[in-house]
Amino acid sequence: MVVVSRKKSIGLFITLGGGLILVILLLYVGWVLLNWRTGALLFLGILLVAMLIAGVVLNTFFLVREIRRNEQHDAFINAVTHELKTPVASIRLYLETLQSRPVDEAKRKEFYGIMLDDSARLLQTIEQVLRTGRIGAGNRKPSLTRFNLSTVVDECVLRARALHQLSPEQLTYHSAPLMVLADLDDVRAAISNLIDNAVKYSGSDAQVAVETTVVNKKYASVQVRDQGPGIPKAELKSIFKRFHRVPGATSRVPGTGLGLYIVRSVAKRHGGKAWAESEGVGRGSTFVFQVPIAK
Amino acid sequence: MSRVLIVEDEQHLADGLRFNLEAEGYQVSVVDTGEAAIEALTTAPDDFDVVVLDVMLPGKDGFEVMSEAREAGQFVPTLMLTARSRPEDVLKGFAAGADDYLAKPFDLSILIARIRGLLRRREWLSASRHTSHNANISAPAASTDVLRFGDKALDLNRLELRVREQVFHLTLMEANVLRYLIEHAGEPVPRKKLLEDVWGLHEDTDTRAIDNFIVRLRRYIEDDPTRPRHLLTIRGVGYRFVAEP
Repeated sequence: MVVVSRKKSIGLFITLGGGLILVILLLYVGWVLLNWRTGALLFLGILLVAMLIAGVVLNTFFLVREIRRNEQHDAFINAVTHELKTPVASIRLYLETLQSRPVDEAKRKEFYGIMLDDSARLLQTIEQVLRTGRIGAGNRKPSLTRFNLSTVVDECVLRARALHQLSPEQLTYHSAPLMVLADLDDVRAAISNLIDNAVKYSGSDAQVAVETTVVNKKYASVQVRDQGPGIPKAELKSIFKRFHRVPGATSRVPGTGLGLYIVRSVAKRHGGKAWAESEGVGRGSTFVFQVPIAK
Repeated sequence: MSRVLIVEDEQHLADGLRFNLEAEGYQVSVVDTGEAAIEALTTAPDDFDVVVLDVMLPGKDGFEVMSEAREAGQFVPTLMLTARSRPEDVLKGFAAGADDYLAKPFDLSILIARIRGLLRRREWLSASRHTSHNANISAPAASTDVLRFGDKALDLNRLELRVREQVFHLTLMEANVLRYLIEHAGEPVPRKKLLEDVWGLHEDTDTRAIDNFIVRLRRYIEDDPTRPRHLLTIRGVGYRFVAEP
């Protein structure tokens, strides 16, 4: 619904801008026909028309950009509201159920598990929003420490296996020792986001491979490869934008549109980069996160 | 045994709702997309007595599901359940055809009470008919659940509006709004008062959202909705219902 309203409102302003340019040109042609003999007036006219057209183009451009920003912001508020309230609603529902109804031991254990999952989801959303705020503020310098990146990736893999109940065959890891000078907390969050995304979007039959390598003796690279739904080519860059979510079937996977923004921001803050590769829809994806090796 | 359809894509919530509603003695079905909900509601319209509908669904959202179901003639009482609880969202849900609205996170006992309320609402509507005090409104001797005005009749039991040979099915909320206006026939009814008395919204709401409802009611009761004779707008105030123009 958001996508449709955005297209409509942007389309209106682009049409309006185009219409105004056409009117200006028509008026100008009429004016030239009336004044073509006067060289100085003709020059002045060309200048004014060029300025008018530039003004209309700029106005349309900024207007469209502002509409996009507002709508992204609305989509974000909706997503965060949903991501915060849904797990709270679920936890509360199960607590009230346990409080008010007779529940056998097996069900009781199942309910506790559900509530733990929901509290983890809630915590992750809160951490992502707070981290985005810190990164977005721009005035906080990364707190650099020297550490072995492959140990951190190993921790993230173990955490993800436990959280998503995956076997070592479903979530594999091949490591190489890599010393980096980076903000440990931010890097851990970025790698966890990549692994969680790969698992989340793969559905019930996740097959995720994580690998650390050295690239050109300069960068420590973490690759997360999944066999999930893949990403349309047109979306490969946009997915790293703040609040952006790929429309279509994968939009049902819960999320705030902040995870990949955090990944790329963390990479950039350390002089590295992050990108996604995919052969297309239905053919899996690979996410790469690179930061410079410590000298 | 009353049958409940839950439309919820969040597995945990759907399972928790199913557990509780089954414990209350309802027969429960669950679907997790808007498309599946429309299919369930339109292919077997009599299979459900009440629907619990989440708003944020993948694909078609709850508002679209509600509108399409109502357009297809499915008038099963529906409770919308959503994380979005701004008054504008609430009104949007009602305008789409919902009968009740509950914000997440909700209190389990309230949810169950609301579902029971929806199942009982027809009797409630009929009972409230007796509070009507307007001389222009008369009920036929055969049925005390019908409010008549001009050549039109609002049947509160069947939630139908009969206009000569035509029969319009109303949602519970549409019937409530029309009943309220009929009961206050001849008086100017401010938008804010309608919001407070019918919807129970006391916050600083954009009262113009109510206009969607009035547009729909005019389509039912006016011969020419662009020149209303029964349901008049009083500029800057609200509306006035005229039983015999």
